Amino acid sequence: MNQLERLLNEFSQQKLQNQTRRHFLMDCVSKVGGLAMAPLLFGCEPGTIKKSQGLNLSDRDLNPLAPLPPPFAPKAKSIIYLHMAGAPSQLELFDYKPELVKYDGKACPESLLEGRQFAFIRGVPNILGPQAKFSQHGQSGAWVSDYLPHFSSVVDEVAFLKAVHTDQFNHGPAQLFMQTGSPRLGRPSIGSWVTYGLGTENKNLPGFVVLTSGGKTPDAGKSVWGSGFLPSVYQGVQCRSKGDPVLYLQDPEGMTRDMKKSVIQAINSANEESFKDFGDPEILARINQYEMAYRMQIEVPEVMNINDEPAAIQELYGTKPGEESFANNCLLARKLVEKGVRFVQLYDWGWDTHGTSKEGSIDSGLRQKCQEIDRPITALLLDLKQRGLLEETLVVWGGEFGRTPMQENREGKVQGWKGRDHHGDAFTMWMAGGGIKKGASYGITDDFGFAGLDERVSVHDIHASILHLMGFDHEQFTYDFQGRPFRLTDVEGELIHSILA
Amino acid sequence: MDFLLPLFGRFHPLFVHLPIGILFFAVLLIFLSKKGKTNFSNVIPITFLTGTVFAFLSAISGFLQYQHEGYTWDSVQIHLILGWCTVAFSAWLYFSFRRNPDITKNRKIHSSGLLLILILTGHFGGNITHGDDYLFEVLPSGLQSFLGIEIEQSKPLELPTENWEEIAFFDGAIQPILNHNCTSCHNPKNLKGDMDLTSAKGLLEGGENGKIVNQGNAENSKLFSRLILPKEDEEHMPPKEKRQPRKAEIELIKAWIESGGSMDQTLGDSKVSTSLISQFFAKEEFPFYPKTTLKSISSDTLSKLREKGFFIENIALDNPLLRVSCINFPAFEDKDWELLNSVSDHIAYLDLSGSKATQAILELIGTSSNITVLKLNGLEISGENLSSLKNCTNLKLLYLNSTAISMESLSLLNGHPTLEKVYVFKTPASNQEKVRFSFELETGDYLLPKLATDTIVY
Repeated sequence: MNQLERLLNEFSQQKLQNQTRRHFLMDCVSKVGGLAMAPLLFGCEPGTIKKSQGLNLSDRDLNPLAPLPPPFAPKAKSIIYLHMAGAPSQLELFDYKPELVKYDGKACPESLLEGRQFAFIRGVPNILGPQAKFSQHGQSGAWVSDYLPHFSSVVDEVAFLKAVHTDQFNHGPAQLFMQTGSPRLGRPSIGSWVTYGLGTENKNLPGFVVLTSGGKTPDAGKSVWGSGFLPSVYQGVQCRSKGDPVLYLQDPEGMTRDMKKSVIQAINSANEESFKDFGDPEILARINQYEMAYRMQIEVPEVMNINDEPAAIQELYGTKPGEESFANNCLLARKLVEKGVRFVQLYDWGWDTHGTSKEGSIDSGLRQKCQEIDRPITALLLDLKQRGLLEETLVVWGGEFGRTPMQENREGKVQGWKGRDHHGDAFTMWMAGGGIKKGASYGITDDFGFAGLDERVSVHDIHASILHLMGFDHEQFTYDFQGRPFRLTDVEGELIHSILA
Repeated sequence: MDFLLPLFGRFHPLFVHLPIGILFFAVLLIFLSKKGKTNFSNVIPITFLTGTVFAFLSAISGFLQYQHEGYTWDSVQIHLILGWCTVAFSAWLYFSFRRNPDITKNRKIHSSGLLLILILTGHFGGNITHGDDYLFEVLPSGLQSFLGIEIEQSKPLELPTENWEEIAFFDGAIQPILNHNCTSCHNPKNLKGDMDLTSAKGLLEGGENGKIVNQGNAENSKLFSRLILPKEDEEHMPPKEKRQPRKAEIELIKAWIESGGSMDQTLGDSKVSTSLISQFFAKEEFPFYPKTTLKSISSDTLSKLREKGFFIENIALDNPLLRVSCINFPAFEDKDWELLNSVSDHIAYLDLSGSKATQAILELIGTSSNITVLKLNGLEISGENLSSLKNCTNLKLLYLNSTAISMESLSLLNGHPTLEKVYVFKTPASNQEKVRFSFELETGDYLLPKLATDTIVY
């Protein structure tokens, strides 16, 4: 007994001696630096060291991105989320309101304005009739305007949600709400939740990739693909479709692959020594991350290169090699999903059509934006379909809110171009693919397209349904933070059964 | 001044908690008392007195509520009797302690008796407001059956897909809807609004505001109109905090009233639309993956396979079936199949795309009966031995994109009982003349037309 106590005593003494100021600083470097490095290194595989140390650590202890089984058999294996940042006008694309034509140019009824606040509309604006020509398409008879001629040929693959509502009417908060379930900063995005719950399938690629187009990132900044209170390894990894997909991934000139290898080996053996001293599994995770980064250097440029795709596919999507374009991103999304990436998030900026400029108008700018996405989204659905990937990939399309049936009158003045203000009471989104009922339409709006009358769907309902398709019960999928379990859907959300197959 | 008595009755829920607390405290004092410093015998009588007074007020208010609120004798009798027992017992203890404050063993026994009565009174009182199952409902089902409690749960209306025309409209469809949504408050024991919806007779009689069914006119029938009021409306039924009926259920009630509200007609006679009826058809759940009785593979075995390079994971947390992929194992060869021997019966999803497997792998795969999704994209397979997949009796989706498969070899799979779809994008088959098979064939090669609007600058 005495001997044991002596031993313990000695052990803790030794430990204290080891913990010098330098050790503390060293820890700071590895931990704080780890936070910064994590998005670059995003994951690793169970290393060889684990076994040699005879430790009983789970795969997740070593590699936070190790795959986990979903609680329920999923309908979809991966998600491609197409977010039209700026909010497209549902009244020019999907929500056909012939009544609105009659009221075009007339003053908006007071009843719609009473007690309401709009982002820019002041006083009494005029009603703006639909600027597009609508017709019904496919077997499902879905209404789609002539702004999306290609997309109208695939409406039978899609389920429309026509009465989505949000309580935010400014871009930043509304984008955060749509992507993280809360209009305020600090919550993990859908992709982070999914990656946290399922890990990554391809050990050489991150589980959550973000691609942006339209010249700008979303107003809400990178927090829309942030990991919030989840460990930072689960945040989205932004890849560029032009130039190096991930910055600083290429070896600098003069650095050969072998040199890189020996550097990493040296670092890893040093880390191994320090693991022997401290027994901290974080160190093992670190070793694996270096290995992962090394492998990723090969895999990422390969999968992010669309030039190898056959000409027919390039033409289908309408890609613009060498440029940053939505079409390129759609093709990349398909490639990434094919390679086992869990969540591909696309942002396309430029949908904020207030009518303050030609580019930002309903009749001109919106048409241009629609032209930019029409072919690519149609191609994406068809390409996923012909490869059988649509069976297990969920595609979501939508903005952060909708637009008003009234013409915007910023500062009480009529604008130079036709435009609509932000509006969250009713707008259209669609989903397609794994587990979605083909050709369904859910949600009814009033004659002005101002508010949902029936079958309304909240942002939380959409999140609940997305998680459901990925094999989660949104009420059970939680993460403990600040003393309480958090959910993506917080305390709300109901499954949208009518669009689930 | 008629309102005074029912008003006082409604204070019952407030009063009842006082005697519970005070009498409990009195009993506590008895047990805590010791001779000497901690002797509480001088405060025990006053505690019992206060408890008795409030027990009395509770009993009176409770009786008034029974008189005015439509509770039946059956449902309240035990609670009512026990309540008065509490009053009497605590009054007796008060007088007894006032006479002689000594704490004896007998008195401890008596006061424990009071406590027991108090608890039972409270329990049965709670059951009246919350339902008999209130406490036991939340127990795990294993414990419930151990205790011998069977909790009856009304099920939502389900109709058979065949011969539903012969089902009685009221007894077979409307009454089940009422049972599921209404009768927990409108039953002979708990006559909220003086209304009993458990039988046709009660329904036709209506409640305190008269009839609720106006045959032939749904809008003027409260049975329907109060269901469609906005949830926030005071008159809305069921109360907004309760589970709400499905839209189709409300539609069916409407259809029943409009068809005359008869008790005898069948669903077939009533001319209810088939599309409304079809919403009540029992949905048979066909899980995508087969149901099995296999035991789960140990995590050690899975870990070992992961080390070999496989992606391997249960398809769901408590499902023994596995998803296996070579996404991290491009060097996979036919001989590596041996590694999977121990788990081959468990594989439900197998993806060997892009690996070095050859045509011979088909025969090996043919031995695993639970494979539901099989992906062999990009392998050099022309498929002369494709018929070995006939042994995969659960195969639903087969991916043969970018292989050398032809229509001739695909025909070997014709008639496969479970196979739903085969993908043959970028194969010789996709260029051959289309053949009709028992499964759907996806040949791909989609093109989008060039439209003038593609290039207009707006």
